[in-house]
Amino acid sequence: MIQKIVLKGKTVSEGKAEGEAIVTKMPISITGGLNPYNGKIVEKGHELEGQSVAGKILVFPHGKGSTTGPWQFYVAYKRGNAPKAIINVKAEAVVAVSAIITGTPMVHMLDKNPLEVIETGDYVAVDAYNGIVEVTKKGYR
Amino acid sequence: MYLSNEEERMLKGDYGPGVQKAMEILVAIGDIYDAKRMIPVSSAHMAGNYGPLRDEGVEWLEEFAETGALTKVFTTVNPQSFDFELYKEMDVPETFRKIQLRIDGALRKLGVKLFYTCQQFLVGNLPRKGEHIAWAASESEIFANSVLGAMTNREGDHSALAAAVTGRTPEYGMHLPENRIGNILVDVTELDLKELTQTDYAAMGYYVGKIVGDKIPVFVGLPKDVSLVNLQALAYPLPVSGAVPMFHLVGITPEAPTLEEAFGGDKPEDKIKVTASDIKEVYEESRRTGERKVDLVIFGCPHCTLQEIEEIATMLMGRKVHNGVKLWVCTSKATKAIAERMGYGDAIRRAGGMLVADTCPSGGPYAYLKEKGIHVVVTNSLKAAYYAYGLFGMGTVFASNKDCIEAAVKGRWEK
Repeated sequence: MIQKIVLKGKTVSEGKAEGEAIVTKMPISITGGLNPYNGKIVEKGHELEGQSVAGKILVFPHGKGSTTGPWQFYVAYKRGNAPKAIINVKAEAVVAVSAIITGTPMVHMLDKNPLEVIETGDYVAVDAYNGIVEVTKKGYR
Repeated sequence: MYLSNEEERMLKGDYGPGVQKAMEILVAIGDIYDAKRMIPVSSAHMAGNYGPLRDEGVEWLEEFAETGALTKVFTTVNPQSFDFELYKEMDVPETFRKIQLRIDGALRKLGVKLFYTCQQFLVGNLPRKGEHIAWAASESEIFANSVLGAMTNREGDHSALAAAVTGRTPEYGMHLPENRIGNILVDVTELDLKELTQTDYAAMGYYVGKIVGDKIPVFVGLPKDVSLVNLQALAYPLPVSGAVPMFHLVGITPEAPTLEEAFGGDKPEDKIKVTASDIKEVYEESRRTGERKVDLVIFGCPHCTLQEIEEIATMLMGRKVHNGVKLWVCTSKATKAIAERMGYGDAIRRAGGMLVADTCPSGGPYAYLKEKGIHVVVTNSLKAAYYAYGLFGMGTVFASNKDCIEAAVKGRWEK
């Protein structure tokens, strides 16, 4: 049996992408928190410290930190080190602007808490035209 | 959210891809913060410094400028990392200068007025009480909201630029009067207010920011004739140690004629007191180096007013900056022109210092100074000290104007 879970939420930035999820319950600061030259989270003590978000579906509560974040995210995007899509519990402006200027699909305010439904390694398809997230649990694909 | 016909057309691309992207940014922000509509803005301010943009950001800005988008409202720009005319004296690497000139070109094409100052209100970008504006940079935000009574959220460069080329911003946050009401009462009456220096005001701001976080502090007991320099000194560290969007000074700032009005008729959530020892502690904790040898003494975060330049020039009379130590006094190009006319520039140079425009102690000259062996920075700005240490790994000392001059002359920090 293939276990698929469908979540419905709101679009922040339109687009479609699918891939492997990387999930954290901690907010992410792009400036100072993400190294745009290798896609790794570099914030000291962060759950994802040392892990790359490049090409992944990045799931986290919301952004934090400097409003220069979109510039850093753009560098990551141009160098192929940005996530393919973003899922937030509740978006804020820094990550939202990052997604818009790079055309990265992004959704938030899903009908179920994505941090509880999605685990790192799950396969996730984001349709940010319609605000739909399809989760295939690890091992069922 | 509701969009007018014209806003819909911007979003559809009728005004070109730049304006379309700008409207997409504003609608996305409006949606996540539940804004009901867009409102017109009368002014914008953004940063244009290579530091955060990097090569890719410069390309983005150039591509955006190529779309033909133009600023619809008066738009100014924050300092960058060197003086366009003194780049040789400042030892600016040529690659660094060239890429900054590309940013300069893109901004000019967009119609951004190239002031390179964080004191845009002193050079003509002066919104009045109740005006909706879109200013990036936290110090701009807090000064506009608190001292001018204009209304702005803490914009990023993209959202400020989006507001500039559309003339709109989503109505949320600090654009709504209910979010501008004070939360925390700050009592400063225990301090010897007559004796407070500019840097004591800065230390007070830093201390209060640390305690109140993202709340709005309401200061009681400050003198009605508090100077612009002291007001700025107080304002700029509040969003550095905290995330304060605005403050009120009862009887002084425009939205706080009385204590009742400052709190919107409600009671304060909390009360705090600032004492002389709180201020002293900030000086101590802001010393982030064990080194005694000083490499750079830097003034101008916020950019020095003409009065400050005069004060520094006077303090330097008959003195000489120690061999090997750099002393920079940073201001806007406009203020520098008058400082030169008044002879302050000559006085600073005679003592071995430099009067520089377009850059500032927080604008990141450390990126190239570090390679030249500059490691220990003494400054009268807490914001500058915080970023020089946090972003560039410099050793920093925060000190009064007088102590900064002493450090420059002796080449050592001796306190």
